[in-house]
Amino acid sequence: MADDRKRMFAKHMQKKYTEEHGTNKMSGGEITDKTVEYYRLGVDQNPRKLEMKKAGQELAAKRGLVGYNPMMHCGGIPLGQRALTPSFLSGTDDMVEIDDLHYVNNAAMQQMWDDIRRTVVVGMDLAHETLEKRLGIEVTPETINHYLETLNHALPGGAVVQEHMVETHPALVDDCYVKIFTGDDELADEIDSQFLIDINKEFPEEQAEQIKASIGKTSWQAAHIPTIVSRTTDGGQTSRWMAMQVGMSFISAYSMCAGEAAVADLSYAAKHAGVIQMGDMLPARRARAPNEPGGIPFGHMADIVQTSRVDAEDPAHVALEVVGAGCMLYDQIWLGSYMSGGVGFTQYATAAYCNNILDDNLYYNVDYINDKYDGAANKGTDNKVAANLDVVKDIATESTIYGLENYEKYPTTLEDHFGGSQRATSLSAAAGSAVSIATGNGNAGLSGWYLCMYLHKEALGRLGFFGYDLQDQCGATNVLSYQSDEGLALELRGPNYPNYAMNVGHQGGYAAITSGAHAGRGDAFAVNPLVKVAFADKLLPFDFTKPRKEFAKGALREFEPAGERSLIIPAK
Amino acid sequence: MAYEPQYYPGATSVAENRRKHMSGKVEKLREVSDDDLTLVLGHRAPGSDYPSTHPPLAEMGEPECSVRELVEPTPGAKAGDRVRYVQFVDSMYNGPSVPYFRSYNAAINFRGVDPGTLSGRQVVEARERDMEEIAKFQMETEMTCPALASLRGATVHGHSLRLPEDGVMFDMLDRCRKEGDVIIMHKDQVGRPIDKKVDLGKPMSAEEAAKRTTIYRVDNVAFRDDAEVIEWVHRVFDQRTTYGFKPEN
Repeated sequence: MADDRKRMFAKHMQKKYTEEHGTNKMSGGEITDKTVEYYRLGVDQNPRKLEMKKAGQELAAKRGLVGYNPMMHCGGIPLGQRALTPSFLSGTDDMVEIDDLHYVNNAAMQQMWDDIRRTVVVGMDLAHETLEKRLGIEVTPETINHYLETLNHALPGGAVVQEHMVETHPALVDDCYVKIFTGDDELADEIDSQFLIDINKEFPEEQAEQIKASIGKTSWQAAHIPTIVSRTTDGGQTSRWMAMQVGMSFISAYSMCAGEAAVADLSYAAKHAGVIQMGDMLPARRARAPNEPGGIPFGHMADIVQTSRVDAEDPAHVALEVVGAGCMLYDQIWLGSYMSGGVGFTQYATAAYCNNILDDNLYYNVDYINDKYDGAANKGTDNKVAANLDVVKDIATESTIYGLENYEKYPTTLEDHFGGSQRATSLSAAAGSAVSIATGNGNAGLSGWYLCMYLHKEALGRLGFFGYDLQDQCGATNVLSYQSDEGLALELRGPNYPNYAMNVGHQGGYAAITSGAHAGRGDAFAVNPLVKVAFADKLLPFDFTKPRKEFAKGALREFEPAGERSLIIPAK
Repeated sequence: MAYEPQYYPGATSVAENRRKHMSGKVEKLREVSDDDLTLVLGHRAPGSDYPSTHPPLAEMGEPECSVRELVEPTPGAKAGDRVRYVQFVDSMYNGPSVPYFRSYNAAINFRGVDPGTLSGRQVVEARERDMEEIAKFQMETEMTCPALASLRGATVHGHSLRLPEDGVMFDMLDRCRKEGDVIIMHKDQVGRPIDKKVDLGKPMSAEEAAKRTTIYRVDNVAFRDDAEVIEWVHRVFDQRTTYGFKPEN
């Protein structure tokens, strides 16, 4: 099967390596060629580099201080000694410049992170109990609708109680709003549709039933504070901003006394007792507030990405979209900028979501599993294969060797994943996700990840960069433990988990493995139904059903972000 | 019966070559003079003294210490040499060595070494004269083909790239070239031009590289076909998993 298979990356490799892009002279040849001519054309071969070079020159002239100058590279030997080739976002035919996959150059990537960071889920029931049981105020669907109308005025920065107040301009905070969701169909029917995330409408029937059963009769608000606020402050601001406006809105909507003690209960509920952050606060040595990327568990990332509700029959696709989102956020933004600095992390991350190399490996695995294990890679619970070491070894070994041989049979893929860490991420994400899809068990998938690393290292005599694979050499020892200082269910592990906090190219894969386990079972969510529902919302600027397509739009400069300041700055 | 190290499993030529690299029992194929080695390493001028960071140990009046008595210092440590590096890049197109086996070679067969193993390069740091001994050993033996491996201190890109028609691994800084039937190096490890072209010898033929390589490739010796190595990897994996942290512990 492996040799006959039509490779999903073939078309993209042909475009990249056998057709000219810009003036890179990459026309002719085959994607299986082992030799190539190096023209050493420098940056002028590439349209984006040319644009950047011109911008650098204009910047230097304008400010009287030099800036970007590609000739500063290697003492006058610029980038482009090999051909500078574009990339395709996996799962799409969108060809982009690789520079445009750095989050600085990509508004969609920025917005994805903005939309996560500025989101909290807040319970309504504690507040309603306070109103009803303590103050004797009747809460009805009508009062809830009135409250939500008030909060949608107040949350972006509108005043509701005091006189002569400063307010934010609605056009600057137009991405800010709150919606409600509940597992109670009767209550949902009574809520004004503009305020409702309708679980029955947004999820396939089977998933909607799972989610409603999990949420029960409780009701929750999905609150998104303004992007511009979140960017100016930090993730910790999200719950604070939200809680203040929630408190004021309750006062206004229910005609409360602004100073009465019950308001403190409402604040406590909104800030602490009834709030679900997207990310946990990090310990002092990493010093980050809640809702910063290092605190987002892999299970939350799997739930934030929404592919599972629009393409539930294809668990591999679900996992691949989570890889894209996870690598972008965890590698490019969290490790690449918060933790490290510099621009290099983009190269590691993009390997996992560009040019269909990982996709090909994972879909090969799906076919292999379905052939050998009687459809275990299809969505379902009765078809899963047992999560034991023999299964892990079989699937992960086949996956790894198939992927390795692709690099050997198609030298252009090896050139595309030109660093060992890129290959290691791609191979292990394929192996791990395949195991998790087949078994419905994220920790079994994690085990497959580690075996893949071992096999890769022995096959090629090399793995990742100095330190990349440190965690992969010792990771197998903790896959079976759920004790908090040793191990944990993969859904609850996160970027700050011991060993995972160090190295690029892992965390997006772990998130994908998590999602694969649940998508493989047909679960509606991985770990938290509230997070899943909060992002099942078309009004969010970033479309979480297809992160990779959105990244392409960002790279092609077609994505419209929120939080822009054009209104308050001089027109150019 | 004397202990005979086994080093590595596997029944293929790649596995056998790996055992050779680990044991240090490799064939010498070429000569690199001390001055040429010094030039390409780029740490000091040929013929100059080794710069030192401390006086010779014999002159330092070291404190009484059982560990110091037990461990014989390396020549570089005795002399007070500074710590310097040699860094190799090995092509994935049947380059004779690979990063992990360069590191194993250094760590098993030499003392006072600090190997660093990456995917596209492999560095050994050691006292300068000790490092030179390793560098010379690896450059002169079958561990190195001058076309498929090169010394690169920085800007190492190239190990996974397709080969140009002349078979010399891509180097952005163009430190090595094929001239006639030999490979010459005209820049040092970090790409600074050097005073003469250093002759690194003839490249291996494609057949010889395939015979001597330590990398598995599907178009030569496929990893899939070395069952004993895969079995051994599975055994390591099983044991690390089963005997690691477990819920009942």
